[in-house]
Amino acid sequence: MNNPNKSTRRDFLKATGMTTVALGFPTIIPASALGQGDKPAPSNRIVMGGIGLGNMGSGDLSNFLNNPLVQYVAVCDVRGGVRNERKNQVDGKNGNKDCKAYVDFRELLAREDIDAVHIATPDHWHAINVIEACRAGKDVFCQKPETRTLREGPLMVQAARRYGRVVSGGSQRVLEDYRGIVQKCWSGELGPIKAINVEMGTTSKPCNLPAEKCPDDMDWEMWLGPAPWAPYNHSRCDGNFSCEGGSWRSYSDYSGGNMTDWGAHHIGGATFAVDVRELQPTDVTLTVEGDKRWVAFKYPNGIELTLNKPGKSQHQVDGTPGEKREAKKVPEYAAKGGIGADFLECVKTRGKPFRDIEFAVNTVALCHLAIISYTLGRSLKWDAAKQLFVGDEEANRFIDRARRQPWQL
Amino acid sequence: MSEQLDKAFEALKTYDWGKDPNEIKAIDDAIVTTHTDAAARKDLETKLIAVLKTEVPQAAKDAVCRALKTIGTAAAVPALAPLLADEKLSHMARYALERIPGPEAGQAMREALAKVPANLKVGISSSLGVRGEATSIPALQPLLANGDAAVAAAAAYALGDIASQDAAKVLVTAKPAAATKVAVADASLNCAEHLLAAGNKGAAKITYEKVLASTPSKQVKDAATRGVAACAK
Repeated sequence: MNNPNKSTRRDFLKATGMTTVALGFPTIIPASALGQGDKPAPSNRIVMGGIGLGNMGSGDLSNFLNNPLVQYVAVCDVRGGVRNERKNQVDGKNGNKDCKAYVDFRELLAREDIDAVHIATPDHWHAINVIEACRAGKDVFCQKPETRTLREGPLMVQAARRYGRVVSGGSQRVLEDYRGIVQKCWSGELGPIKAINVEMGTTSKPCNLPAEKCPDDMDWEMWLGPAPWAPYNHSRCDGNFSCEGGSWRSYSDYSGGNMTDWGAHHIGGATFAVDVRELQPTDVTLTVEGDKRWVAFKYPNGIELTLNKPGKSQHQVDGTPGEKREAKKVPEYAAKGGIGADFLECVKTRGKPFRDIEFAVNTVALCHLAIISYTLGRSLKWDAAKQLFVGDEEANRFIDRARRQPWQL
Repeated sequence: MSEQLDKAFEALKTYDWGKDPNEIKAIDDAIVTTHTDAAARKDLETKLIAVLKTEVPQAAKDAVCRALKTIGTAAAVPALAPLLADEKLSHMARYALERIPGPEAGQAMREALAKVPANLKVGISSSLGVRGEATSIPALQPLLANGDAAVAAAAAYALGDIASQDAAKVLVTAKPAAATKVAVADASLNCAEHLLAAGNKGAAKITYEKVLASTPSKQVKDAATRGVAACAK
């Protein structure tokens, strides 16, 4: 629905002065200043907890747990086995039994002693987790893909800006894997950029798996959360990295499939390379030739980003060699140690993280736009300021989906 | 195509968890192919509505609601409305109704709001908020005082989604229970931000000041303070 009372996304951020993050936070005093080595005193560390601690969450937990800036105090997962294992991991590192374990993320967020959280729940949970964390005054590191629907993105950015939170998306590959093509583009070597192509895989599918007995230690209602009710099936909720069945990444109630799961990386790298991270496209042009289909996004500045364009390879750039393009310095993480360290540094300094939530949202928006275009079988025009399709009421019905009670954004 | 579609509707009669989604895929295909064929689209919608009135498994009705989310019109509202009070189907009814254009869908949800149990009130309120219709404000306002904190919070967030000056007035004059304060403050801030972005600095400032007067949390206080400053620019 198009709410006539709503101002545009751009008006909103501009008028409210929320385009940057700048808020007070207790200064982290290095304990070296107190003669205790490089590790800050416990009272000066960033107190963290983790929500959703399976595959990616487990890796994130280890990274944050082992960072000397962090005092890790709480874990949350709807699966008892995972929850207990991670608690034991944290307790082992801390040398005590103090790590609290939660089934419901809201209880973790209610703790006033926690400064920041990392989130690696299935994708259909991300927006609710992130927005609730911002409302609770926490800084957030959220795994990719950050959104499941188009409407979620601006609301996550709005929550981050409203409460002055540092909110980082989670694709480490954007900077670390695609540095070569990024450097070529930003150095001016390729001249003014006209287009870039991204090779992408499939989209997610409906899931209608049969009922199985739910493990006793799993809160199935919480796993489903805002998604339509469905019976437990181990393949429906498995966190493995397949997007072709046998995992939640394969099914459209929870994920956009390969399109969003790898799109957050590949498209994130492409938008970084051609420097359109702050933008969303105006045109989504679908071409179908036989059994092949591909999408072209046109940006307001004229740059084209294509998905699976025939004859093009991954991150193939059409530049204009010989024509001058001013070199720009490639942005880097705020600290050594990867994207997690970048986030922690920004928590300390109140700076904007490399994968600021707005950049992440703009990236995954392309994935959603492509999925909607594929689903409807037609080209679309997108008004990024209004976050609406132009002249296509039916397409606008795909901007979001009703959430199962009691969950809402 | 028609034969495949007929088979899909036949499959819906017994479509339960565990059945192959490809059995009903022709319905999704028909949604695409009938896009520019009003008569065929109407026929498709009529067939989907008819399924809702029959005894079929929950998975089948879910599938119908998903299809009506895309192609449903006011004609589908009378068949969807009774499902709003059904614990198992209320969400999927909203799945369709939340996105159906025209006043009928919102009206059906407002009428159901007073009659359904608390947990379903939460869902319906959130869908009314997403629809953003000013006519929902009187239905949501009394829920702010509901003894169930989840119901009161859902109404607050819905009013925040509507984000009009009238919604802001309702929010800042509410006397929320402790468990609802975060929601009322967040919704009020949302209204204020949209009023400010629309150029209504006076109403925005009043809203921010009311939030500041409500003994808010630190992050809410900081947000409202920045809002007041933005109104002065």
